[in-house]
Amino acid sequence: MGPVEHLHMSVFSQSFSPCGRFLAAGNNYGEIAIVTPVSLSAPLTPLLFLNFLYFSPSLVYSLSAHEGPVFSLFSTDSHLLSAGNGEISAWSWAELIKRNTKAAWTRRPNYKSSLEIPEINAMTVNPTENSLVIGGGDNNIHIMDLESGVFKSVLQGHTDYIHCLSVREREGEILSGGEDGAVRIWDHRTGQSVHCIEVYKYEECARPQYGKWISCLTTESDWMLCGGGPSLSLWHLRSMSPTSIFPLSGCQRQANFYQDMILSVGEGQCVSHCLLGGEVKAQIPCTPHSLNTLALNLNSTDNRVLTVGGSSHQIDVFTNLSYRTFSLSF
Amino acid sequence: MGAVTDDEVIRKRLLIDGDGAGDDRRINVLLKSFTKWCNSTGSPEEGFTQYQRMLGTLAQCEFSMGKTLLVYDMNLREMENYEKIYTDIEQNITSAHDKISECKKEIQRAKRIRKNRQEYDALAKVIQQHPDRHETLKQLEALDKELQQLSHIKENVEDKLELRKKQFHVLLSTIQELQQTLESNVTSEAPPHHNTSSSMLYGGKYTCGDHPPV
Repeated sequence: MGPVEHLHMSVFSQSFSPCGRFLAAGNNYGEIAIVTPVSLSAPLTPLLFLNFLYFSPSLVYSLSAHEGPVFSLFSTDSHLLSAGNGEISAWSWAELIKRNTKAAWTRRPNYKSSLEIPEINAMTVNPTENSLVIGGGDNNIHIMDLESGVFKSVLQGHTDYIHCLSVREREGEILSGGEDGAVRIWDHRTGQSVHCIEVYKYEECARPQYGKWISCLTTESDWMLCGGGPSLSLWHLRSMSPTSIFPLSGCQRQANFYQDMILSVGEGQCVSHCLLGGEVKAQIPCTPHSLNTLALNLNSTDNRVLTVGGSSHQIDVFTNLSYRTFSLSF
Repeated sequence: MGAVTDDEVIRKRLLIDGDGAGDDRRINVLLKSFTKWCNSTGSPEEGFTQYQRMLGTLAQCEFSMGKTLLVYDMNLREMENYEKIYTDIEQNITSAHDKISECKKEIQRAKRIRKNRQEYDALAKVIQQHPDRHETLKQLEALDKELQQLSHIKENVEDKLELRKKQFHVLLSTIQELQQTLESNVTSEAPPHHNTSSSMLYGGKYTCGDHPPV
């Protein structure tokens, strides 16, 4: 990979392994890099500095996964699922750790038109039904059964492509946000759209200068965070009303709930920490100029790190949420 | 030249320090003076003074021995003390570790509580924007009363209207019947002209219930 390509690399997606010891990151050249983050059981010992030095490129290896960019990565208990231009590949984590770069399976949802192959922007798993929910450029949501690989159903309703997906297990609902500015809530059994919230129609959220698209969506019990063109806002799903608006400039691309805070990344060279009440507590600077993805390693107890990636070949690792510890290079 | 001076130095040092340093020298000197005193051929006063001197050095040796014994005891006790302090500190460290993990759990709990409180605040903010329930209830009651009054009035007006309609209907129907009877009287009396006045008289005598003249 030449230096020019290195310069133009963007990291679009990340996912931690189920054991919590490995990070997979996908970029716009179709490669997936498998990285071992540093072990941080004793955060204040001088061993940490030794580990900095030990962090050699041999712990990062990349495999060429797709022809187009890898927009979305998701980890199940045993496999890593990656999606790019229209097709989904699955890689076994055990094989990846042994550096065996052969995909377990590759599938493609049934697209109506065979001329254009739409990209897949978001993937998530519905654990109660063991099904994979995919949203992409053809304005539809496809649901695939993970055991059999059969595409069970298609949820139609969006009028423009889908950016992000989220699943509420307790209520059995799938939420999707798209370019048409609508957040739709679907019942996964009937396949019908239960609610449709048009965020840009609410005056306090709307930012017409940025547009109406929704690029980040995440839910936790009764609360939902959504943002993009309109400002990042916290919604109470039972009453379908926006409760707090976050005064972040720039469009947010990914947001997560963490303990009592909200972590959000987007345009702007920082990770924003916000409180649920609507105030921005801190903005931590990082290397990439514009961030696309944020991943929290909650699977392991001693490796609790936050990693962010964006329009740069470097992935920043935060061991303590307050500052950037070091960067990994693709 | 270095060797010569070395020899000189060695000789000088041996001469000065030949007996060793401190207590060792004292014991050596004592031994030497004792043997000298035993073999001495001088006067008894000299012998006595030498004897006194030897007693003095002996006392000095005993004194220094006592001192070292005490120092040794002191060292032993200090060692014990340090051991005790060491175990104390270790216990403190373990209890501090426990406290730290307790505090971490507390922090998690506090964070959860704070999150719940913030969610509550956010919802409360939204709810505050809506008007008070009592006021809306009162407004609703007032509106209900108005509605009832208006429907009451409407009923009254409708009743009156019905009554008037019925009265007009009776009036109109009697007028029509009268017209009809007048017309029938007129038609029946048309051919016989001379009978008109009498029949009209007759018509006038009869009331509605009687059989009219054909």
